[in-house]
Amino acid sequence: MDAMEKPKYDGSLIGKRIPKMDAPEKASGKTRYIHDIDLPGQLHAKILRSSEVHARIVAIDTGAARALPGVHAVITAADVPWQRPIGVAKDHLPLKGDRVRSPRDEIAAVAAESEDIAAAAVKLIKVEYEPLPIVATAEDSLKPGAALLHGEDLIVTGPDGKREVVHKASHDNVAMTFNYGQGDIPNGEAESVVVVEDVFRLHYVTHCCMGVSGVIAEFDASENLLLYSNTQVPFLHKREFAELLGMDPGRIRIIQPPIGGGFGSKLDIYPFEPIAIYLAKITHRPVKLIFSREEEFMASPTRQPVLLKMRSGCRSDGRLTFRDVETVHDNGAYTSWGATTPFVMMQTISSLYRVPNCNYRTRAIYTNNPYAGSFRGYGNLQATFAVEAHMDKLAEAIGMDPLEFRLINAQDPGEVTPQGMHFKSCGFKDCLQTAASRSDYQAKFSAARGKWNDGNPVKRGVGMASMLHVGGGAKIYPSDGCGTIIKMDDFAHITLITGASEIGQGSETVLAQLACEELGLPLSAVTVVNNDTDVKPWDVGVHASRTTFIAGNSALGAARKAKAKILAAAASKFGRPAERLDLREGCVIDKATGEKLIEIGKLIRSLHFSDKAELVMTTFYYEPPSHKQDKEFRGDVSAAYAWATQVVEIEVDTETGIVKLLKVIGAHDVGRVLNRLGIEGQIEGGVVMGQGYALTEDLIVENGVIRNPNFRDYKLVTAPEIPEIDVSFIETMDGEGPQGAKGVGEAPAICVAAAVANAIYNATGVRITALPFTPENVYRALHSNSQPPTWIAAA
Amino acid sequence: MSPQPATTGRPAVAPEEGVAAIETYAAPRSLAEAVALLRTGEATILAGGTDLMPQSKTGRARFQRMLMNVRHVPELRGIRGTQDCVRFGALTTITELLDSALVKNRFNALWQAADHFASEQLRNAATIGGNICNASPAGDTLVPLLVFDARVELTSEVNGAAARRTLPLAEFFVGPGRTQRRATELLTAVEVPLPPDGFFSEFYKFGTRPALDISAIAIGFGAVRDGQRLRQVRVAFGAVAPTPIRAAKTEAALASQPLPAAIEPALAAAAADIHPISDIRASAWYRRELVRNVLRRMLNNVTQN
Amino acid sequence: MSPKIDVAFKLNGVDVRTTVSPGMSALEMLRDELHLTGTKYGCGEGECGACTINVDGLSANACLMFAADCHGREIVTIEGLVSDPRTEALKKSFVAYGAVQCGFCTPGFVMQARNLLEKVRSPTPEQIRRGIEGNLCRCTGYKKIVEAISEAAAASS
Repeated sequence: MDAMEKPKYDGSLIGKRIPKMDAPEKASGKTRYIHDIDLPGQLHAKILRSSEVHARIVAIDTGAARALPGVHAVITAADVPWQRPIGVAKDHLPLKGDRVRSPRDEIAAVAAESEDIAAAAVKLIKVEYEPLPIVATAEDSLKPGAALLHGEDLIVTGPDGKREVVHKASHDNVAMTFNYGQGDIPNGEAESVVVVEDVFRLHYVTHCCMGVSGVIAEFDASENLLLYSNTQVPFLHKREFAELLGMDPGRIRIIQPPIGGGFGSKLDIYPFEPIAIYLAKITHRPVKLIFSREEEFMASPTRQPVLLKMRSGCRSDGRLTFRDVETVHDNGAYTSWGATTPFVMMQTISSLYRVPNCNYRTRAIYTNNPYAGSFRGYGNLQATFAVEAHMDKLAEAIGMDPLEFRLINAQDPGEVTPQGMHFKSCGFKDCLQTAASRSDYQAKFSAARGKWNDGNPVKRGVGMASMLHVGGGAKIYPSDGCGTIIKMDDFAHITLITGASEIGQGSETVLAQLACEELGLPLSAVTVVNNDTDVKPWDVGVHASRTTFIAGNSALGAARKAKAKILAAAASKFGRPAERLDLREGCVIDKATGEKLIEIGKLIRSLHFSDKAELVMTTFYYEPPSHKQDKEFRGDVSAAYAWATQVVEIEVDTETGIVKLLKVIGAHDVGRVLNRLGIEGQIEGGVVMGQGYALTEDLIVENGVIRNPNFRDYKLVTAPEIPEIDVSFIETMDGEGPQGAKGVGEAPAICVAAAVANAIYNATGVRITALPFTPENVYRALHSNSQPPTWIAAA
Repeated sequence: MSPQPATTGRPAVAPEEGVAAIETYAAPRSLAEAVALLRTGEATILAGGTDLMPQSKTGRARFQRMLMNVRHVPELRGIRGTQDCVRFGALTTITELLDSALVKNRFNALWQAADHFASEQLRNAATIGGNICNASPAGDTLVPLLVFDARVELTSEVNGAAARRTLPLAEFFVGPGRTQRRATELLTAVEVPLPPDGFFSEFYKFGTRPALDISAIAIGFGAVRDGQRLRQVRVAFGAVAPTPIRAAKTEAALASQPLPAAIEPALAAAAADIHPISDIRASAWYRRELVRNVLRRMLNNVTQN
Repeated sequence: MSPKIDVAFKLNGVDVRTTVSPGMSALEMLRDELHLTGTKYGCGEGECGACTINVDGLSANACLMFAADCHGREIVTIEGLVSDPRTEALKKSFVAYGAVQCGFCTPGFVMQARNLLEKVRSPTPEQIRRGIEGNLCRCTGYKKIVEAISEAAAASS
């Protein structure tokens, strides 16, 4: 033992800059992502997608593909008549047998000895189509007489031959609606001295995870299913896959290899996953299916495009009177999580600022476009874009400084909003003031306005936007909980088995920190296990900025129980009351004297090497004290709420339309900083993702076809383009959060586009209400060569 | 890498015309061997590979029966200056252009285009010959090469011996992706006359980033300064016509009177020189606006310096 | 059908021989034939840098290189740099400066950063940003990557 390397102790781990535990493996190229895993006997699968946007399938000929040497199976819908629908509305069969509604649509799939053979076989499949009218926009989709995307019952035939309607025929193209109201709009309008109204258009963007999507499926001899999957919600998907396959969920095991980016893209099941499973079932071989980048653009989800009409008013003293919002969401051809983003949008619309009268009506509309999923921020980027534009417009209309206007309407701690959210900790006003003072917002704002007509073609401006987002989970399922198991070995090394999933955000490190802080152990004494549903306890999944808060509280709970067990053993061994003892630097100490009584490992060995052996192994389940919303969407869905304000400084070249993001000054109420390195990384990465949403990224969809399915023309921000980033942390020490922390994952991406829009106005006097601010769009707006978005005519 | 239209813009070829069509692979060690292999005109030439590989992976490259890798042909390498001309071997990489003091000192616009070219990884692989043979309307090096009156050298085997012909780059491009190169010919070099003393040149590539971007428009400009008069004016545009073009009317307008009086007529002339189209990268209208505004800015800078 | 091409080259200091098909990329050869998976597929079009390797002393996108063209060359991948001091300094600083999140792009960044530091010993932040312009990262926002490369340059010069 003495020869062993002694761990280093450096006081509290909380708030320090702690390197991510898995980073050394990743930096060395040793981490095995799903793409890097090959199983013996594995086959490779490829999918045939539709060459048409909207068509009936008349015939599929797979003969030549089946005959190709090296091909093990070719399947179409006819081979899996028992397949069941996927997605949020269960309107989507993985393999399409009679009709395609988008060029991403899966018609057939091949499993072969190699990827090349599978790809060659796919090309040999002949499909005959009968074209149907293309529904290219939500507006067209709402017109009378528009082709119905799901106008027929979706029927499946079970393994027993029984036919079942799994999705009923719809008489219109409305996939989903949400309506929310508080107060009375006419009253609010009557109290207003100023009313503003605009239509905003938010565009398509997509996740662009650097690792493309993939899955490996394998059945064992007893027909148990093993999936290597990058899902962000393994336990929910176990259940969903079980329903899809008609099998017991307990016989499905999901292993999550390290993931090449998530950002919400892996919250739903997509057709490629059941397709790989069907092929594995049919071939009795492991089947691996990996996308190409072009496929990733075509067949992974998007952020929801939204057309949003907003009317808002205020009194002469600056208090908001009402906000009336209607939105139309382009749902695409099938329904995934994108359709449910109004859950989040309405929080911002109703409760970011105090607004007594508020109405929000939404419709998600089927079209032949790509379908929208969940994406970091989950609707909040879109809602914040509109709300913050109106905050600036109203302030201007009553001649008030925009910061002062926001401070008048900003939420305070203790507020319970009409929608039922309870802001127990709330650093919103601190965020506003900190971001404003660190950016010298007010002086720069006034200075820029004075230069609108100075003849200089290159303008500067500042813009401000703020956000509210869940920071303590989001109870959209009956449970929003997470379990933890802590097991301590003879050498005081712990295995922390968490239900939480790691998608690069650094949860394993934060959870280890929280446990170590409690147990007085160094980080080197922890192994985190978080990737196997046969091992780890239940968790809802990694989404909604919930992992640090929920899994953190869970890890803390398990660590506290382990600590109590150790201290009880020490108490009896040393004859001192447990309350007098503590764990520090790997030892049991006497709190009063600081005396080190025994090394924890030694104590545990003494427990184990006895005839009354006792293991230090604890479990804890944390369920946040939040509530599911009622049917009117009222309820305190999160145990805590996160706040942030960002000020951006930009430069606009009015002769080219190029907008440069020079600096982002952010102030984030994160509750408490747990890992300074990790949280900075979340914020910087989120800011740059927000920059892409605002300025460079644009998934161009024309008549249902993605025109730029590659990084050449879908422009992610590159290193030379990044702004200077200045982040302040507002530590409100949330009473429920682990060590006071709140969630932060989504927050930093939310404000950027809204702030840039306000900055463009500040620089030029031109208000642009449609994203993205790519050079041509900005140039057209500045030179009056574009129409601002208008509300849909037909509805 | 010379930028190509969006992958969706280039039609897919039949599977049997893709990589499956390749029956033999050859890596000649000399020019004589290379042109001999090209005799039947049934070889796809591999140089940097930066365009060929992605096109083949997405099923959009049409292959001949032979894949001929010319990267080991020594005659295609090197930058050699003579009294009045510089000869760039076709395999000269963009990095080699960037690292060349001769290019930096005498061909500034070409150096700037190399600096704006894609990324370092691509600059290390992509070749000047490949950029030219790809004949993209937005090809990064093409606009400055037009400004410098470059000529291309094509070599083929005639009666058992290597035969060369040269033609002006401005005549080499026929349309997007199409050139005057015959199937039996190998582009062996680019010859660029040394510009006259006092010749200065500038390259402007429109974009939001320094590199890894495909031009919505590119402008190359060069002239000899004589007070506010410009002599030997050369202007070239990229991405505003089916091929990169020299702008004869713009050049004439700039040569006809001193700056700044020449600026507005030159902008009007430029509008007549270009024939932009709308695609996913920019509308024709916006390309016209950019050419006008950016050219004006370039000429104003010239006037003031 | 398609011809087989024998290639022999130096891979991470060791002479290797393998057989490739004409359409195969160096990336496919490294990953699927030679089982070196530290070089990643991100786009297959040279736009993301996740497959950055070193060929005859220069950085290159393995996805754009024909496997057949590797013949006679000297190729180095992330796996071949375990005892290279500059790479070790980079890996350490990437870890210490939080430049790694999902990590999928990281080997490519390390390879490209090494290449940059071979050419420029003490790059400015501006030079670093330009030096990694061909590498995409969706997680970090690049700031910590630039800081990590700066630190590694200071540590190894």
